[in-house]
Amino acid sequence: MDVTTKAESANATRAITCAWLVLVTITIVSWWLAPGHSGGVAVPNVAITVAVVVLGFIKGRLIIRYFMEVRGAPRWLKLTTDAWLAVLWLAVLGIYLF
Amino acid sequence: MTNTEQTTAELDQPKDTGGQRLPHVPGDSHMWVMVLGDLFIFGAYFVIFMIYRTMAPQEFLADQQHLDVTVGVVNTIVLLTSSWFIARSVVAVRAAEYDRAIRLTYLGGAFGVLFILTKAYEWTTEVMHGYTMPSGDFFMFYYMLTGVHLFHVALGLLILGIVVRELRNPRKRRTSMAEAGGVYWHMVDLLWIVIFALLYVMR
Repeated sequence: MDVTTKAESANATRAITCAWLVLVTITIVSWWLAPGHSGGVAVPNVAITVAVVVLGFIKGRLIIRYFMEVRGAPRWLKLTTDAWLAVLWLAVLGIYLF
Repeated sequence: MTNTEQTTAELDQPKDTGGQRLPHVPGDSHMWVMVLGDLFIFGAYFVIFMIYRTMAPQEFLADQQHLDVTVGVVNTIVLLTSSWFIARSVVAVRAAEYDRAIRLTYLGGAFGVLFILTKAYEWTTEVMHGYTMPSGDFFMFYYMLTGVHLFHVALGLLILGIVVRELRNPRKRRTSMAEAGGVYWHMVDLLWIVIFALLYVMR
């Protein structure tokens, strides 16, 4: 029997909806961090950029794990996607701070 | 739902092992080869963008202020919501609730179209204000990254269309097909998240 039960479906849907709520909340926080709100000229800001990198990593991981369903995937896929996220965001931060 | 509607292709789904589902590759490995390849190529674009940005941080930051962050936020929420529908449609397919799955896929697609319309509005506004590709490196990257991404959104809509066509046909519907379409669609979302962070938000 391959069809999932009602309870399994409800659990999966709940996890997806929670991930979506967190993602939207983070996006709204990012909006508040973005330049051009203070009315003046945006200046480089390491703290904001670090926050953007951390939030970007978290958002990406939520999409991969919950939307793409990698949380139920074999180890190689979890490791590959985590490696992509880590290398990308560390490179972004490293180059920014260089 | 009837048993005759279960297709043989669903046999490659993991078997239930005492309530614990076995690890399972969502979609199929071909889709993952394409998605991981795309992620790698976009990753390289992002690194190149960061290198150029670091060489002229003031110029990039000044040009960045000409983007409308609010439109960027709307675009992000539209795409996240689209992914929310598509992820739930995959759950519905797995529960053999095909009508619901088709409805959710249409909703996901509608939000994808809304993303394209918002982007078209944003590009039009930027061009009318005189910010085009020759305006500088920032705008060159802006149009290149968002343009290549938009092409992926369009391709994703085509894939969602194929998923709907298969779901409508009781002899063709396969869970792996819906999963593969979902994986592609969420990749489009994932890439947008990075573009949004790098182009609109970072300082």
